[in-house]
Amino acid sequence: MEIFWLVILGLTMGIIFGVALEKSRVMEPGVLIGQFLFKDYTMLKMFLAATATGLVVLSGLTALGLAELHPKSFVVGNIIVGGTILGAGIAIAGACPGTVFAQIGRGYKDAWLTIIGGIMGAAFYGYNKSLIDGVLDMGSLGKITYADLFPSLPFWMLGLITAAALVVVMIALEMYRPWKVDRGMDQNNDASASSNAAHA
Amino acid sequence: MDLLRQNVWSPYLAGIIIGLLQIPAFLLVDTALGASSSFVTGTGFIFSLFDSSITEIKYFAKYMSKDKYFWQSALVIGIALGALISYKASGRKASFSSASWKNIGASSAPVARLLQGFIGGFVLLVGARIAGGCTSGHGISGLAQLGVGSSVAVAAMFAGGIVTANLLYKRAS
Repeated sequence: MEIFWLVILGLTMGIIFGVALEKSRVMEPGVLIGQFLFKDYTMLKMFLAATATGLVVLSGLTALGLAELHPKSFVVGNIIVGGTILGAGIAIAGACPGTVFAQIGRGYKDAWLTIIGGIMGAAFYGYNKSLIDGVLDMGSLGKITYADLFPSLPFWMLGLITAAALVVVMIALEMYRPWKVDRGMDQNNDASASSNAAHA
Repeated sequence: MDLLRQNVWSPYLAGIIIGLLQIPAFLLVDTALGASSSFVTGTGFIFSLFDSSITEIKYFAKYMSKDKYFWQSALVIGIALGALISYKASGRKASFSSASWKNIGASSAPVARLLQGFIGGFVLLVGARIAGGCTSGHGISGLAQLGVGSSVAVAAMFAGGIVTANLLYKRAS
């Protein structure tokens, strides 16, 4: 595809992504950090739903031979240390590298500093990559997937089984704590706004 | 359009929509959803204004030349546009920082928010680039491909996030 159309496609997909992040409030610092404090389960529910949907989609696309998977390498030291630092960063910033852009769109001015910090962070790693990777080097297991660990099962079968298991987890979570409990405030705002309109 | 004017969606609807975005990503771009690579692309082009030798560094050169990174940079700009359309459509107002900070006992003083944003953003991208992906690339996309490394990355993110959040914030508001 030509660059022009790739950019148009990216913008279009991003708009849909951004609407979903804003409507679900997963881009709110209190919601992301609230998950780490186990006082708001919105982020985990959205994350599980997106993962389960992705599993079903990729099971179908690979079974039909329409797409190839691109799993990331399991570079042991980098994954463990980098993942932990990233988690700490989410808790400090109240954002992920993707949701910070939704905060910009939402009109939060402080998110611009998170992006500037992120650019400095990416530069810090880029300029010092060989040194950092050298310190963390514990070997790599390559682009290994759980489907490789169960060679008798094709990816689509393991994918659908995993998606079904995630649906069970979501049902249990929803029974334990309905999503509207976490979004209580927003629901009230919505109701009062519409009743005001009705009175007017 | 009614759906766009709605104030909130269930996290399940939002998650399903984001998961479905893997279809165009894999079919048309031959890649998975992700976000943090775009920071390297942006950094490369911004820093090339001051450091013309940056394109000689293989890591930056890669992110400044491949088509899929231009697609991903457009994706994150689209995320900002989508959130803008969404909150305007439901008739809410912008603010300097999120009102949700007070739910976890954090200061809403602008200086505190800016400083914490900068430090947080730095830590966020150092971690994501060391790990080779973020909550989108390793999280949503890596798990959907049953990646073993991505599942360890997600466990590490939650561990780092839970420990840090409990040190910095209060559970009760």
